[in-house]
Amino acid sequence: MADEILIKPDLKFVQRIMAAGGQDAKKCYQCDTCCVVCNLTPENHPFPRKEMLQAQWGIRDVITSPDIWLCHQCSDCTVHCPRGAKPGEVLGVLRQMCIENYAIPPQLARMVGDIRFLPLLVAFPVLLLLAALKITGRLAIPEGPIVFSKMFPWWMVDIIYMAAAGFAVFVLAQGVIRYWRDINTSPWAVKLQGGVLANLIPVLQDILLHNRFKKCETTYARSLNHLLVVFGFITLGLVTAWAFVREWVFHWPGPYPFFSPFKMLALLGTALLIYGIYQIIVARQANADKAGFGTYFDWQLIYIVAAVGITGAASWLFRLTGIASLAYPVYFLHLTSVFILFFFAPYTKLAHLVYRTVAMLYARMSGRGF
Amino acid sequence: MALEERKYAAYLCKGCGIGAALNFESLAKTTRKEGKIPEVKEHDILCSPDGLEMIKNDLAEGVNCVLIGACSPRVKYEEFDFPGVLVERVNLRELVAWTQEPNEEPTQMLAEDYLRMGAAKLKKADLPEPWQTEEISKTILVIGGGAAGLSAALTAARQGYPVVLVEKEAQLGGYGAKIYKSTPTSYPYSSLVDSPVHALVKEVLAEPKIRVMTGTELISSAGQPGLLDVTVSRNGEEETFRAGAIVLAAGWRPYDASKLDRLGYGLSPDVVTNVELEEMARKGQITRPSDGRAPQSVVFIQCAGSRDPEHLPYCSDFCCATSLKQALYVRQQNPEAVAMILYKDMRVPGVAELFYKEAQSDPGVMLTKAEVTGVEPKGGKLLVKATDSLLGQNVAFEADLVVLATGMVPATADNPVLNLDYRQGPGLPDLDLFNGFADSNFICFQYETRRTAIYAAGAVRQAMRLPAAIEDGAGAAMKAIQALQHIEAGMAVHPRAWDLTFPDPFMQRCTQCKRCTEECPFGAIEEDEKGTPYYKINRCRRCATCMGACPERIVNFKDYSVDIIGSMIKAIEVQEIEDEEDPKAPFMIVGLVCENDAYPALDALAQHRLKLPPNIRFIPLRCMGSFNLVWVSDALSRGVDGMVLLGCKYGDDYQCHFAKGSELCAYRLTKLSETLDKLGLEADRVQQFQIAISEFDRLPSLLQEFVDRVREIGPNPFKEF
Repeated sequence: MADEILIKPDLKFVQRIMAAGGQDAKKCYQCDTCCVVCNLTPENHPFPRKEMLQAQWGIRDVITSPDIWLCHQCSDCTVHCPRGAKPGEVLGVLRQMCIENYAIPPQLARMVGDIRFLPLLVAFPVLLLLAALKITGRLAIPEGPIVFSKMFPWWMVDIIYMAAAGFAVFVLAQGVIRYWRDINTSPWAVKLQGGVLANLIPVLQDILLHNRFKKCETTYARSLNHLLVVFGFITLGLVTAWAFVREWVFHWPGPYPFFSPFKMLALLGTALLIYGIYQIIVARQANADKAGFGTYFDWQLIYIVAAVGITGAASWLFRLTGIASLAYPVYFLHLTSVFILFFFAPYTKLAHLVYRTVAMLYARMSGRGF
Repeated sequence: MALEERKYAAYLCKGCGIGAALNFESLAKTTRKEGKIPEVKEHDILCSPDGLEMIKNDLAEGVNCVLIGACSPRVKYEEFDFPGVLVERVNLRELVAWTQEPNEEPTQMLAEDYLRMGAAKLKKADLPEPWQTEEISKTILVIGGGAAGLSAALTAARQGYPVVLVEKEAQLGGYGAKIYKSTPTSYPYSSLVDSPVHALVKEVLAEPKIRVMTGTELISSAGQPGLLDVTVSRNGEEETFRAGAIVLAAGWRPYDASKLDRLGYGLSPDVVTNVELEEMARKGQITRPSDGRAPQSVVFIQCAGSRDPEHLPYCSDFCCATSLKQALYVRQQNPEAVAMILYKDMRVPGVAELFYKEAQSDPGVMLTKAEVTGVEPKGGKLLVKATDSLLGQNVAFEADLVVLATGMVPATADNPVLNLDYRQGPGLPDLDLFNGFADSNFICFQYETRRTAIYAAGAVRQAMRLPAAIEDGAGAAMKAIQALQHIEAGMAVHPRAWDLTFPDPFMQRCTQCKRCTEECPFGAIEEDEKGTPYYKINRCRRCATCMGACPERIVNFKDYSVDIIGSMIKAIEVQEIEDEEDPKAPFMIVGLVCENDAYPALDALAQHRLKLPPNIRFIPLRCMGSFNLVWVSDALSRGVDGMVLLGCKYGDDYQCHFAKGSELCAYRLTKLSETLDKLGLEADRVQQFQIAISEFDRLPSLLQEFVDRVREIGPNPFKEF
């Protein structure tokens, strides 16, 4: 038989999935209830049953499957699974493996995804920022009115964060290119319809409106909460971009007056971010019994985002209230958390931003589910 | 204790709607004048203490033959049971009041016919006297010392019955003693345990009432239940002893894997069966027979020669759980190894599902549905090829070792084992219906066989795992004890377990035609040296198939005979049909119904208040096998227009309580149509239908169609004579 596939089970891979939060994957007995209850899965070759089987057998191909990204982890499958195999959680782990697989170096991704390396993860930016302060002789709480640029001048922030973002974009870009190549070869290769750009626009539209995410039943509220966080980030991104332009083009330094439209926009963005992430935490805990608690990988991103929002808002509040001894250290923590968010983006769950977008683009172009 | 001086009385109940549907004055008159029962009493609720008191007062006055016109004989049987009194129940409630239009002429005629028929039977029947047998042996012979046999022996012994346990091998325990570990036997059903058989063996050896005979073969068992002469051979020495009942727990053997070369057996030494793998595990290490190395990857092929029409067509029940267990052996021996299980369907019945879940949770136990197409050697390894797998249409698996999960072949598949001295043969009959398993009627009666007081248990009865076999042994031992008790009391055993009557043939008229000996489903009738049939009553189940078979009509029971049923038919008042176009024309039809399935279905139909055509007079038969052709001429010669027979389902999945009755009846009817044709009567006037006990809702339309068909044929031309 020409099209015969040699099945090579990989015990290590199975053990890795089980250790990373897919400990119930082996309980699946392939009844297919998950595919039936899933509102997101395409009609042909639906997920997550086949992915569960591949996870059980340790078939590594599964991590390059575009289908694992079409899942938004509604956990409807987990709720209805008669065997308690938690397909939602298992697919989450497979996505983690995918991110890990396309990151360079993969070892770094593996460390980021492992709770034992959490102190290192935090220590890196802390030491980096402390070193920067030390070198420029700013390792003290500045006197006078609180202006954060006294501690971290704009040029310093921009250099460090441009570099971090640039690194992240590079790692993600090479990952996405390799991923796109992989899904366009066997076994996923199909004839793609239409141009990339023409398809990307409707995909982005779909993402911005969370049209697919909204189809979740058990964790319906998550799509709204996630949307709040997304728009919080978009708003804050716009503000940051404007600040960048102001700084480098117009040379108008901050801080902005309280009632400036950009300050208002920044506050709105922060509020959306904090409220959204708070709701995500509450809802995840409330649903944990039926939908699964989520893995360390999930919670890591949630807490990074929460830290970014809370430290940002808190440093602003302390600045307004003039408590320098708190304002500067909190601002330091804010920069630390933002650094983690930026720098480790290709290794944390934040990478889903690009891999899911690419997978959805592929799905649209290959006629799966759009 | 035949009734010497008969004193008759009839009691009619007005309760449950009977009183509102019928004219009791007319009923009493008919019973008195035509039924010839001088005393007829009515009561509003006959089964009430007051009503029963009324009857008992009369019994004290000497009444000893009682006609009860009330509800179905299938209910209130304790209330209307009077010791030493002949009781005949007339079903005025279910068959009349609940299924007919109240206070209509045909309804009244129907009720009065039922009373006439009941009275006719009461006149002819007599009180049963139990069969007197010589003192029986209470010893229970258990054949087979495996899980089921050990459990049967223990159960019987602990109830106080002596047991002889015969095992052909040198050691007790059967396959259950040869396994390395057993699948879990108690909650939480998650880890492997030692075989429960070892403990059973110890208990059996310590039990003084059990005589264990290992290395012993059964040569023959002669005689009849309670009086079996069993001959065994132990180390070439023969011994004969008496036993009362037998538990057959002869077990199984693995399917011959040499027929499975398609799956690589015989092609490579590294293809082994589950039994061979178990043996390796028990000896300490699972290795590749070719080079003695421990395998890194093992493929288990489920249903190897099972559920396959070319090999064993059935599921052997144990293989799925066993492969899961053996996959764990592989994993425990080498944590780097993987065990792949390729199944048709995973079948892990009952609580073993919990073990399935547990075993499956091992990271190195991998499962997929797949149709294995072949196994071939490839560079020191084996390549297992399959289609229709969950992992892809055409797939291949590389393995160091392949295990074929072969199934069970019952000991009775090609060996009578029991070596009975029955005219019908040394083994249990018709086992091909059950693929050689010693099963009888899997729907209703576990453990039963068609040889009375012989009960099958364990894997010889049905493919099963150890825990089920242990339960089975206990169940079969209980049945054996019950049989001994009934035989001692001169009573039938299951299913007519209350019946004290027995066949009492009028031998002077026997023509030695041997139909009875051929047709008896239980082989109860033997022949003497002159060829004259005689009964071994303790084998008899009282189905009366012999009574239906006998062309001379010489077989009688005290309350059931060709004459009694004939008299009931003759008691029916057949009316002239003046205008056959009249929809109310009194076409008369006799319904002979199986009392085990069809009659309860009629009762159920009545409980649902469905309607029956008023033209049919139903008579329950012990079994359709007792249907005697002479009743057709009894009926048709009296002007009855048609006869409908309601039997149970027959064929491979038969539902007959006596295995063959309905089928025999249908066979006899094929002979009838020729006779009817000769008489110029239409064959359609007599028809048999198969009705399951649950199919009551089918009956009204089925019976109405039959009545319509008879109406279409027209009145019986013999009516005028």
